[in-house]
Amino acid sequence: MNQLIQSLLDAISQGAILGLAALAIGLVFGVIRLANFAMAEIITGAGYALVLTWQWGWYVAIPTAIVAAVLLSLLMEILVFSHLRKGGPATLLIASFGLSFLIQQVYSVVFGNDVRTAPVASNLAQTWDIGSLRVQSLSIVSIVLTAIMLAILLWFLRKTSLGLQLQAAAMDFTTARLIGIPAKRVIAVSFAVSGILAAAVAFVLTVQSGAVGPTFGVNITVLALVGAVIGGIDKLVGSLVGGFLVGFATSMLSTWLPQDVSNFRDAFVFVLVIIVLAFKPAGLFIQGRGVVRT
Amino acid sequence: MMMNTGKDTMDTRNTLRWRLAPAWSLLSLLLIVVAVTELNNMFGSSMQSQMQFALVNLIIVVALQIFVGNSGVLSFGHIAFVSVGAWTVGLLTLDPALKQSLLSGLYPFLSTASAPWLVAVFIGGVVGLVLALVVAPILMRLNGLQAGIATFALLGVVNQVLTYWSGIGPQSGQSMAGLPTDLNLQETMLFALATIVFAWLIQRSRPARLLRAAREDGVAAPASGINVVTQRVIIFAISGFVAGIAGGLFALTNGVVSANLFFVDFTFLTLAMLVLGGAFSLFGAVVGALVFSLINVLLTNLENGLTVGSTTLTIPNGSRTIVLGLVLVLMLMYKPRGLTGGRELAWPLRKQPPPGTIVTND
Repeated sequence: MNQLIQSLLDAISQGAILGLAALAIGLVFGVIRLANFAMAEIITGAGYALVLTWQWGWYVAIPTAIVAAVLLSLLMEILVFSHLRKGGPATLLIASFGLSFLIQQVYSVVFGNDVRTAPVASNLAQTWDIGSLRVQSLSIVSIVLTAIMLAILLWFLRKTSLGLQLQAAAMDFTTARLIGIPAKRVIAVSFAVSGILAAAVAFVLTVQSGAVGPTFGVNITVLALVGAVIGGIDKLVGSLVGGFLVGFATSMLSTWLPQDVSNFRDAFVFVLVIIVLAFKPAGLFIQGRGVVRT
Repeated sequence: MMMNTGKDTMDTRNTLRWRLAPAWSLLSLLLIVVAVTELNNMFGSSMQSQMQFALVNLIIVVALQIFVGNSGVLSFGHIAFVSVGAWTVGLLTLDPALKQSLLSGLYPFLSTASAPWLVAVFIGGVVGLVLALVVAPILMRLNGLQAGIATFALLGVVNQVLTYWSGIGPQSGQSMAGLPTDLNLQETMLFALATIVFAWLIQRSRPARLLRAAREDGVAAPASGINVVTQRVIIFAISGFVAGIAGGLFALTNGVVSANLFFVDFTFLTLAMLVLGGAFSLFGAVVGALVFSLINVLLTNLENGLTVGSTTLTIPNGSRTIVLGLVLVLMLMYKPRGLTGGRELAWPLRKQPPPGTIVTND
């Protein structure tokens, strides 16, 4: 019983973080149809910022990480993606794939191939004993952090003019432009917000491992991208829940799969992904078959 | 064409032109490959192995082009077919004594099986074909981003299975080393030429024509009675076959096969080659693979220090991959249809219709 609760808690926290990452991807996709694989490098960049500046205190490191992530995200848009508006999602995906590869190499030249380490918020990575239950405090932190980020995002989307514009643009970009929503500003905002979400993800991952290398963000981005697509990358809720489900499933599988097949955990996840796409190509949470906007 | 010629001559000219143009589009590609290989031979033996890798990559890119070019659907999964081809050849050509000690967990029928390399390469192709046929009915229903993600998922599954299943390979994460590297540059070139001829024939086949119709108009083609999924399955399977063959050749060129070779990096490399040349033409695949390899070799040599006359040029380590990434991104930004614009090579000295012109055959 205890083991079940523990594994559920782990799975929920893993799902929460992946949900955030998937949301960061879905947010941008909704506006300019870009599934940004280079989100990995935004997460890595924020991770480097945290690890390299942690010695001066969290009040320096955390803002630096957020600024770094937002800047990286905006730079990608300004330098690369804004020149690619004519390509379809597939072209954009390849471009972001190439960009991801490129920035990874830059990281390994600048910061070296070895990981950089720092005890980032190491007091958060403890285990608490509650009764006979062993709880990773980081699990609670990730869940709470995700909840806070979602609450802020929800407030921003519902209550601010910029947020409403963003929602309108995500729903139908062409119509939004026709009724006078400034396209460039909305796109910039979506990249900035997705950068902030990436910084939050980077924070949790850095606390977890304390070590950042050039490919730090790649794994979670692959899973988040996959999650966003099976949930329905066109809708914010779809991305969020899709990401959550993939994280939840990954965590549960690694706890409960028998030892000799647990190596194949990711293979199971990918098979599930293919099955979902076969039956619901537009995403799990899109009504009916949906219109696959390609 | 408002020339002052009689109608008869126009017709014969056009017919001749229409007969010769496709032949030329094939012949020119073969000539390019032979010329580049021969040119490379003049540099002596030091570049032989790099050229051989370039030709193997060319075959992989052509395999990718057979599917992506004709269907217009993106595949991140072709390296999965390359990897099963390489795996098959590795298992079938490894020295039996070595196999016993390296791959202890192998299934009995695999640990005794062996074949001459040529047969092994062909079997590798068949394994690629079968894998493609098994997954195609599901994958081929998808378009755009979904197709990209689903094919990537396929790559993920195959990669994990090859990494961890010791019944069909080495212990988790280890490699099959000591494969025979008898394959020489000449033979690799013949394989490349044969692949190009094969891809050219496929391109002119009925399924490929139907697919290109669907690629250009996803509504009109099905409405005219084309079953897009069926045609895609056929072409995907053929493409998987060629990729499997290429994987086998890769194994024989590299001498070492391990699962981590066949993942995101290799996928990126081959896709970049295809995009660089232009995915919509065979010419694009060939040019992309050769030009990319050329840049790659040049930069590798520069990283190691290239001596020109009395000075030695060196660039910092790692800049090679940065430049390659930059090439892909810039290409997509400024010339998304690639170096060739996605067109086949036309007979020189003849004015090309401007891009976008619909050329009718009447």
